[in-house]
Amino acid sequence: MEVTRQHFNGIAEVIDDLHGLFEEWEREEALLSHLDPDTIQLFRLAVHEWVANLVQHADFADREASITMDVIPNGHRVRCIIEDNSEGFPFPEQIDIQRDALTPFPERGMGLLMLNAATEYFEYSETKDGRRRLEFTVSSDADSCLDIPFS
Amino acid sequence: MQATTMNFQIEPVTHDTVVIRIGKALDFRNAADFKAAAQEQVRSGIRSFILDFNDTGILDSTGLGSIFSLYRQVSPMSGQVVFASVSRPVQVVVQLTRTYKVFRQFPSVEAAREALR
Repeated sequence: MEVTRQHFNGIAEVIDDLHGLFEEWEREEALLSHLDPDTIQLFRLAVHEWVANLVQHADFADREASITMDVIPNGHRVRCIIEDNSEGFPFPEQIDIQRDALTPFPERGMGLLMLNAATEYFEYSETKDGRRRLEFTVSSDADSCLDIPFS
Repeated sequence: MQATTMNFQIEPVTHDTVVIRIGKALDFRNAADFKAAAQEQVRSGIRSFILDFNDTGILDSTGLGSIFSLYRQVSPMSGQVVFASVSRPVQVVVQLTRTYKVFRQFPSVEAAREALR
């Protein structure tokens, strides 16, 4: 099974770099060619929401941010592992807090809920060497949604 | 006359309707700019907004939140926010969040302009 590993150092350009990669993968029709186009976008959204969360809220304690992303295609699924050297988050507990706090047409607080809705499975943990690790899968079969209150 | 306000092209349609061309991304990096640009339009009397997503590769939760903010602002004034020329990445967000229940979608900006005239 092919595993693609990407490294990102620093936080300033990471979002641009990330989307540059996705555009390259889509152009080449290689790494994610086993997925339908909507699932590729769902995967891209999940990765974006997590990395955006890191950019906006993570505490790197004066260290240069170091983020790695492993992408593992698996049938009509894709598995992804994103590790970083931040201090971490109270996640996934934060998801329940965000869900309970959702107001009609919310302006903020949807990021982790969006990640949760886009993914089939996720797990957040600390590695033996102290890095934070988010692992998730996105599947063509999933039909979940983020239940936003509209009234 | 077409104006570019903080990275967003804004094009008048009628005295109270504009098209905002979203461009490549509406996300946590420029959502505040979008909100400010839209608020400026509301202050000048605009009530209906056509958001053109033709070139948009990224719409994230913060970007969507800024659209919700605009909707909350104009809907009590009988205003509306509609989506036009929705790209696949934006459509995936619309489906995931069921926002098609709130924002009407049109296949093109022209179709939206006709509907809102």
